Amino acid sequence: MKLKFHSRIYLGIFFPLLLLGVVNFFMVTMIMKDALLEENRNRGISIGINLAARVTEPVLAMDFFRMKALVDKTIGLSDDIYYTFVLDTKGEPLVHTFQDGFPVDLKAVNIVSDNQDYNIRVLDTGSELIYDYAFPVIIDNDLLGTVRLGLLRTKVQEAINRVMLSAFLSTGMVIFFAGFVGTVLARPITGRIKILHESSEQVMRGKLDSKTSPVLKKNCWEIMNCGKLGCPAYGNVNHRCWYIAGTLCPNCTEGEYAQKIWSCKNCQVYHKCSGDEIQSLAESFDSMILSLKTHLSELQNAEKTLKEQRQLLRTILDSTPDFVSLQDLQSVYQAVNISFCAIVGKREEDIIGKADFDLFFEDMAEKNLRENLEIIKTGKPLKNQEEIPTSEGKKWFHVVKIPVHDPDGNVIGILWSGRDITEFKEIQTRLVLFQKMESIGQLAAGVAHEINTPLGIIMGYAQLLLEEVPQGGEAYDGLKTIERQSKICRRIVADLLRFSRHTESTESITTSLDVNQSIEEVVSVVEHTYKLDRVEIEKDYYPNLPTFRGDKEKIRQVFVNLLNNAFYAIGTDGTIRIKTSFDNENDEIVISVADTGIGIPLEKIDRIFAPFYTTKPVGEGTGLGLSITFGILQEHGGRIEVESPPSSVWDIEGKDAKGTVFIIHLPFSKDREIKEEIIDGQNISIR
Amino acid sequence: MLKKLLGSILICLFLSIGCNQEEPVTRVDLSKKEQLGRKEEANLITYAYLPQYSHTVSYHRHHMLVEYLRKETGLNIRQVFPETFNKHMEMVGLGKVDISYSNPFVYVKIANRYNARAFVRVVESYGRENFRGQIICRADNRLINQISDCRGKRWIAVSPYSGGGYLYPLGHFITHGLKRTDFSVVDFAPGPGALQEKVVLAVYAGKYDIGTIREGTLNLVADRIDIKKIRVIANTSWYPGWVYAARADMEPEIVEKIKKAFLKLDYNQNDHKLILETADIIGIISSEDQDFDPVRELIAHVGISLQE
Repeated sequence: MKLKFHSRIYLGIFFPLLLLGVVNFFMVTMIMKDALLEENRNRGISIGINLAARVTEPVLAMDFFRMKALVDKTIGLSDDIYYTFVLDTKGEPLVHTFQDGFPVDLKAVNIVSDNQDYNIRVLDTGSELIYDYAFPVIIDNDLLGTVRLGLLRTKVQEAINRVMLSAFLSTGMVIFFAGFVGTVLARPITGRIKILHESSEQVMRGKLDSKTSPVLKKNCWEIMNCGKLGCPAYGNVNHRCWYIAGTLCPNCTEGEYAQKIWSCKNCQVYHKCSGDEIQSLAESFDSMILSLKTHLSELQNAEKTLKEQRQLLRTILDSTPDFVSLQDLQSVYQAVNISFCAIVGKREEDIIGKADFDLFFEDMAEKNLRENLEIIKTGKPLKNQEEIPTSEGKKWFHVVKIPVHDPDGNVIGILWSGRDITEFKEIQTRLVLFQKMESIGQLAAGVAHEINTPLGIIMGYAQLLLEEVPQGGEAYDGLKTIERQSKICRRIVADLLRFSRHTESTESITTSLDVNQSIEEVVSVVEHTYKLDRVEIEKDYYPNLPTFRGDKEKIRQVFVNLLNNAFYAIGTDGTIRIKTSFDNENDEIVISVADTGIGIPLEKIDRIFAPFYTTKPVGEGTGLGLSITFGILQEHGGRIEVESPPSSVWDIEGKDAKGTVFIIHLPFSKDREIKEEIIDGQNISIR
Repeated sequence: MLKKLLGSILICLFLSIGCNQEEPVTRVDLSKKEQLGRKEEANLITYAYLPQYSHTVSYHRHHMLVEYLRKETGLNIRQVFPETFNKHMEMVGLGKVDISYSNPFVYVKIANRYNARAFVRVVESYGRENFRGQIICRADNRLINQISDCRGKRWIAVSPYSGGGYLYPLGHFITHGLKRTDFSVVDFAPGPGALQEKVVLAVYAGKYDIGTIREGTLNLVADRIDIKKIRVIANTSWYPGWVYAARADMEPEIVEKIKKAFLKLDYNQNDHKLILETADIIGIISSEDQDFDPVRELIAHVGISLQE
């Protein structure tokens, strides 16, 4: 764990002092010890040399009294002088200071030659350590004797110990004092730094109300005695006036801290209120928090506005059915709307940052890339109709790619938007089909109208000739064949006329009819025939079904066509289910005719209402049945739907879904304008 | 890193203290003791130089001569150092000094008291068998220019037993009309030893106006004071020089043996020359008691009793 600041200060003071103290202690102790030992040694040498000099004459004179006096006087010089004695040239003691006899061991323990100034040995008596000094008594290079001096090492050691104790105590005192001073100096600093630290932590936690600078004894308005209550610094005890913008002091330069600080530094308020570096740091910290708080508030407001605008823009983008995306110069998607996500079949976060190659097939991606590069290169927008594979299959889009420019006019991205025109395309296709059908109808009507008259004449003359030609003859049979084929032609012509809406109707379309009854009438005619091939008809009539106003024959023709198609699709062994119902919500009569036949292939289902389209062999159908049905229902404001295989709701007797169901919707209460037209002697109602 | 540094410093400090430990210790037993007891040497012949100078000077001057005599005679001769003139004379009387080397005044006294007999005397370094005394004062003393100026002055003499340092100058004063009582103070240099030098130093220090010394003393103190600041007022007459005397009961054969050795010294021989010059003499000649009669006459002239 890292040390705290006050600990570092303490260590910074203590450690060098401790190190210095330890070094100093040992060094001083060593030096003092050496000095004391040297001083003691020199003292011993000095005493000894002096004694040796002074004892020379008594030795020469063999004046034992003077010698004794000298050694006694010497030992009295200091209490650490343990003994003194004089030896003659033979090493025998002349005088000594021992009380009860001379220690024999001392005689030869320290020998000094006449060419030495002195000799020192350390003697251990068992209880004391003694520095034994030997000095020759010399005159004219002749050795007269030896002076010996014994200094107690114990006394020196006591002095050394005293020095060590003094050094230790003084070092300890210095360290303690330095530590105390360091504590006194460091505590206010660390305390204020701690306050700053806590404040910064509060700021980090989002609390911007912390106050770290000390409250002053006298504030700027009190020093200046200005009385300007409107000044932002007036009454603000937590912030110094030079940090506050817009102060009203006449000496202040306008502006914020950076602009006004130079003028403030010459102000008496600054001189009286500014503190040391820590206080300045705390004050600037408070000012910074205040500024931060203001800027943060502004930033939050801006962010809120931006968020709202972004949300609005997002809503607009997502509300539009068109897909919109923004790619950068590397064709990486930067933004997309919901429609684009739906096309790609991925979430927005899975698209942003990806390129076309990550989202589309390679062909599509390459095409997009080429287009993007061209737009970036030319700066020209691109408009196109494209069939784009989507998650719901291929769809047609009206695509617009627009280069996005920065303020300098450089292309920085591409806006790609597209509108789904699949339905429009289908309508367009149908429109073409309708136009085609209309043209065919007009042609058929023209042809039928022209053929109808001569056909009537042929059939009339054939009937007249039949009356004149006897039956059973070859001519009769031939005329009969002409009559029969003419009738077939007449029926074909009638179909053509109905298809072209120019056929005659036997009843007015304004006839109110019961749909259930009309169905039942048709069923009663064909039911017997169908049973021969084991095709059953199940009926599920909606009771009390409202009546429908329309052309009964045409409606009946519709049912005939649908039943014949169902029967043909089944062939043998099947069921046809007829169901009527009423859709209250849409006010529609709904009739469904379902079969268990072979069904309609998916690729052919779009074409079954086209005229002359048939799956029957040549001669068995004209391909006009469903076209006529489609046309009749359109005349009546209804519509027809087909499902193959039928959905579960049309499932017949629990069998697996197969076959086909045709659903007819006939409007019930819709007001319609009916125009009646008589064509070829029959009433045909055309809307 | 810091710990290692600190540890290294502390280890070095402790090692440095450890290295500073004491020198080898010798174990001694102070309980084994003996009492002092000196044994007198047999057949020891003691040789004493009248302590006109310090013992050190006396030793320096005569230890080579004593050594010469030891070798030449084969006798166990050792120099002893009486503290004072009087002690010297007493030791001669007590037999503790066998051979006395003294000035004529002292010789006359020990001859008179203890029957000591002169057998050789020295030739001084200036080439004469005689010597004289000197009367000195500070060179800057303008009040004393001649002997008569010494009247009423403070006089320090070497010793009442000194020849050149007292007897001869006293005879000189008396000859010039000054009695001992004419001086305001007559003191003698305090013992023991170095009496001649002490007289010079006392005058030099201004403690006394005049001093009396034997000729040659000033050169001895030239290394301690500036002798130019000492002025010689007068020199005394010449008298017989220093003399070797044997105590009365000393065997004549030994005296003769020693005398021969003395007389054998030849200044022209380098080894003898060194011995003689060290003793501040250039030769030793035979002598007899009557050689010192002029001194006896001077003693009588100044009124000193030989029995004092």
